[in-house]
Amino acid sequence: MKRFSRYVPLVLLLVLIAPLSLRAATLEERVIEHRFDNGLLLLVVERHNAPVVSAYITVGVGSVHETNETRGVAHLLEHMRFKGTKMIGTTDYAAEEPLLQEVWALGSELDRLRLAPEKNREQIGLLEQQLAELQSRHKQYVVKDAFAQIYSENGGVGFNAFTSKDLTTYLISLPSNKLELWALIESDRMRNSVLREFYTERDVVREERRRSYDTDPGRRLYETLITNAFTMHPYRNPIIGWHSDIANLTLEETQAFMDKYYAPVNTVIALVGDVQAEAAIDLVERYFGHLPTGIPVPQVAAVEPAQGGEKRVVVNFDAEPRFSIAFHKPTMPHKDDYAFDLIDQILGHGRTSRLYKTLVEEQQLAASVSVYGAPGSRYPNLFVIDASPRHPHTSVEVEAAIYNELDRLKTEPVTEAELTRARNRLLTDQLRRLKKNSGLARTLTSFQSLAGDWRYLATYGDEIGKLTAADLMEAAATYFTEQNRTVVFLEKGDS
Amino acid sequence: MCSYCRTLFLLAGGCLVLLLSACASSLSETPAQLTYPPLDFTFPEVETRTLENGVQLYLKQDDELPLVQVTALLGSGTIGVSRDLTGFGGVFSETLRTGGTAAYSPDRLEERLDALAANLSAGAGALTCQLNLSVRAEDLQEGLAILVELLRRPSFDPDSLELARLKSLENVRRQNDLPRSVAQRLLRASLYPDHPLGDSPTQESLSRITQDQLVDFHQQHFAPNNLMLAISGDFENDALLDMLQELLGEWTPHETAVQPLPPVQASTAGAIQVVDKELSQTTILLGDLGLTKDNPDMYAVRVMNYILGGGGFNSRLMQEIRSNRGLAYSVYSYFQIGRKLPGTFVASTETQNASVGEVLALMRQIIQDLREQPVSEAELRLAKDSLINSFVFGFDDSHAVTTQKMRLDLFDYPADYLQRYRDHIAAVTVADVLRVAQKYLQPKRQQIILVGTAEEFSAELVDFGLPVRQVTVEPTP
Repeated sequence: MKRFSRYVPLVLLLVLIAPLSLRAATLEERVIEHRFDNGLLLLVVERHNAPVVSAYITVGVGSVHETNETRGVAHLLEHMRFKGTKMIGTTDYAAEEPLLQEVWALGSELDRLRLAPEKNREQIGLLEQQLAELQSRHKQYVVKDAFAQIYSENGGVGFNAFTSKDLTTYLISLPSNKLELWALIESDRMRNSVLREFYTERDVVREERRRSYDTDPGRRLYETLITNAFTMHPYRNPIIGWHSDIANLTLEETQAFMDKYYAPVNTVIALVGDVQAEAAIDLVERYFGHLPTGIPVPQVAAVEPAQGGEKRVVVNFDAEPRFSIAFHKPTMPHKDDYAFDLIDQILGHGRTSRLYKTLVEEQQLAASVSVYGAPGSRYPNLFVIDASPRHPHTSVEVEAAIYNELDRLKTEPVTEAELTRARNRLLTDQLRRLKKNSGLARTLTSFQSLAGDWRYLATYGDEIGKLTAADLMEAAATYFTEQNRTVVFLEKGDS
Repeated sequence: MCSYCRTLFLLAGGCLVLLLSACASSLSETPAQLTYPPLDFTFPEVETRTLENGVQLYLKQDDELPLVQVTALLGSGTIGVSRDLTGFGGVFSETLRTGGTAAYSPDRLEERLDALAANLSAGAGALTCQLNLSVRAEDLQEGLAILVELLRRPSFDPDSLELARLKSLENVRRQNDLPRSVAQRLLRASLYPDHPLGDSPTQESLSRITQDQLVDFHQQHFAPNNLMLAISGDFENDALLDMLQELLGEWTPHETAVQPLPPVQASTAGAIQVVDKELSQTTILLGDLGLTKDNPDMYAVRVMNYILGGGGFNSRLMQEIRSNRGLAYSVYSYFQIGRKLPGTFVASTETQNASVGEVLALMRQIIQDLREQPVSEAELRLAKDSLINSFVFGFDDSHAVTTQKMRLDLFDYPADYLQRYRDHIAAVTVADVLRVAQKYLQPKRQQIILVGTAEEFSAELVDFGLPVRQVTVEPTP
C-alpha cells in the first residue's frame, strides 16, 4: 500500500538473486529459526547496537499466482490490508458491517453496469450518487489509517509493503520496546483484516499505475519487455494489472485471494534487532500460534514454451531513446543461475565491466548500460540488458555492440582475474546488504520464501566458487541466442 | 539520556492506568491495553580528533561486519562558481572520481578498486564536496590510500573530463523524459530566480568547463584545514590513526577561498506555470522558499508539516486526497532546512489530468485551513509522539551516526542540538503550529507547476486567482 509500495522492484529481484555471505558461518550461527505448530516460520537475529527492531512478514504469494481474471489482485489486496481490522480502524464494527455490505453490493452492481456504459448511463449516474452517499455514511465509522497512526505514535518508521511476482511483504521498524504492539497488530491483521474503502483504493491504484508505469519511460519499457518476453507464463502480467483489470477487480476476488493464501503455512517472519530470541518466540507463539495452518500456495503449472525465434517490439514514448534485451534462463538453484550472477558482474557491473568499458568509455556509443535479472525468481526468468544510446548514436548501433560482447563470452573464456573479481564483488555486496536490520530481515524472508531455505545464502559462496570459465562460456552459448531473445526499443513516434 | 526518560514517562503515563485493569499475563486485545518496558537508549559516542594540519576526524568502531565506511567532507561547494558554468559540480566530481591521481592512472585506479570490491563515489553540492568509500576491513589501508590520493593529488585526466562532460550533456538531452524532473527543474528556477541554486546545466554551460577550472577549484578548496573524515566500521583505532597520520600528516594547510553566498530574493507573487506534455497524469508541485537552520521556528514547522503532508498517512494531504478520495497515489510535503541559505517548501502529488483542478483546490484548502484553524490536540500529539518516539532511528546505523555528527559540526549546530531535539519538539503547542502555518504557508506567493495534458485542466486554473503561464520546455536538439 503505501506511498512507497511497489511491484517488482526490478532492483529487488537483483538483490534477491545476487547474494551470499563472507561470514556465512557466523550468519548461520546467529539466525535463530523456529517453526510453530501451525507452519509459521520465525527467523530471529539479535543485534543490540541500537534499541530498534525491524519486522518483516513475507507471504509466499504474488502476482504469479493470479489468473487472467484476477490480474492485479495480489497488489490491490496488499493496499487493502492497510485498511484495518474488525478491531482497528473502526469505531464500532457491529454497526459498520451492515453498511459495508451495502457499499459492496452497490459497488459490484455499478461495476456490472459500467461494462456497458452507453446503455446504462442513466442508471450509472444514479448509483454513483447512491454509492457516494453510502460511502459518506460509512465514513462516520472509519478511523482513518489507524495502523499508520498507532505505529507512528509509538515511533514506528518505514511502515510499508511491497508486492512482487513471487511474494508479498509487510514491514515496519519499531523501537524495540514496542515489539508486542507489532505482534498484536499483525496477528489481528492476519486473521481479521477488513477490506473497507475498497472502491476508493481501486482509484488510488489506478493513479499509482499512471505514476509508476504510464508516465515513466523506463518503467514503460520494462513493462513492455516482460509482457512480450513471456508468451503464456503469468510472469508476463504486470503486477499492478492493466487499467481495466484494476477497475473491474471485485471485493469478492480480493477477499478470496486473501482467505486462500494468507495463512501461517505460507508465511515467514524475520525479526532483526534489539530483541531476545526466546522472548520473541514466546511472543509470536502467543499472538500467532493459534491461527489455523491454511493451505500451501500451489505451484504454478504453466511452463513457458521455448521461444523459438526473436521477438522485436517498439514502444512509442515522448522521451529520448532507450532499449532492453532479454534472454530466458533458469532460476535458482539451477547451476546456470549462479553462472548468470557471475556473468552479470563481468558484463555489466561497475566501471571495469565489459559493457561499460566498451560501450560507454571506449566506443562512447552508450550513455548508460545495466544488467539485471527479472521479473521474479520462483520460476525460470530473464537476463536483461538495458541501454541508452548517446546522441547521435542509435539504439541499433548500441545493440550490435552489445552482441559483439555477448559473442566474446560465448567463444572466449573469461579470465581468472575477472572471475575472482566477480566472486569478490558478489560476496562483498552481500555483506553490505546485511548491514541494516531491514536489509537482513528482507534478505532472510525473501530467500526463505523463494529458495525454500534462507541457508541458500550460506552455501552461495561455495556454489559460485565451483563455477569455472568454461561453465560461464557454456551458459552464454546456451542462452545468448537470437531465438531466445526479446528486444524492445522505446522511441518517439512520428506524430 | 535523562531527558529521554522523562519523555518516555510522559508518553507512557496514559497507558499505565489502562494497564492496571488489563490482564498482565495473557494476550492484550487492543493496542491501548499494552504497556511497554522503558526504552534503553543512550546517545552513541563518536570519537573526534583533529590532526595537526587541521583534518577533523570522526571515528566510530563497529565490528558487526568486516567492512569500513569512510566519508570525506570538504567545507566548500560550487555556490561560488561562475553561473556561466552551471553543471560544474557534476563534471568536477565525476572527473575527480575517474581521472586518476599522481600515483594511479585512471585505469589502474579502477582496477585496484575493483580488485578490492570497493565502492567509491564523489559528489559536489552547493556548499560541500564529498567522497564516499566502502571497503572490506582487510583492505582499509589501500582503500584509504586511494581516497587520500584523490583528495590530495587528483589528475583530472583530459579524457576523463571529456567523458564526464559527455555524460552531463546526455543528461541535459534526457532532462525532459520524466515529468517530475521537468517540474522540479522549473520549480527551482522559480524559487531561486537569478541565483545559482535555481540554475540547471545547459549544453553551453557544460561546454565551457575546462581542465584548468577543475584544477583551480581543487587547489582553492581541497586543503586539510577544510577537510572532515567520518570513518565507521571494523577497525583498530590506533592502527587507523597511524594510517591517517602517515597519509595525511604531511599535507600542508593553506587558506581556502571564501565562498560567496549570493542572497536569495523571495518572490512576492505566486503563479501557475503549465508545461503541456501529453500524459495520462499531471505532476503537481507547489512550492515556496523555506527556512534556514538558525530559525528557531524549525521545530514548530516540523510538527506543522507533519500534519500537513510530512506524516504519511497521518497527514491531511494524504488522508483527504488519497485515502478519502482516491485522487492520487503519492502526496506529501516537506520543508528542506537550508544550512546557510533558505531551503524549500514543497508539496507534491500526481493525479489524472481531469482531476487537476479538484486536487489543486484541495491542496490550497488544506493549506488555508492550517492558516485559519488551530489543529486539534489529537493531531498535535500524534505528530509530536511520532517525531519523538522515532528519534532513535537516527542512531541505528553507525556510519549515519558518524556523518551526522560531522555535518552538525560543519554547519555550526549547537553542541546539544541532538540532545535537545525531542524537548524542542515536545514544547511545540497548537498556537505555535498556527503561527508558523500563517508565517510559512503563503498561498499568495506559492509557485505552482503543472506538467501534463494541459487542455484537460487549463480551463479550471482561472479559479485560483493566480497568473497562469504556459511554459514551453525546449526540445533537445
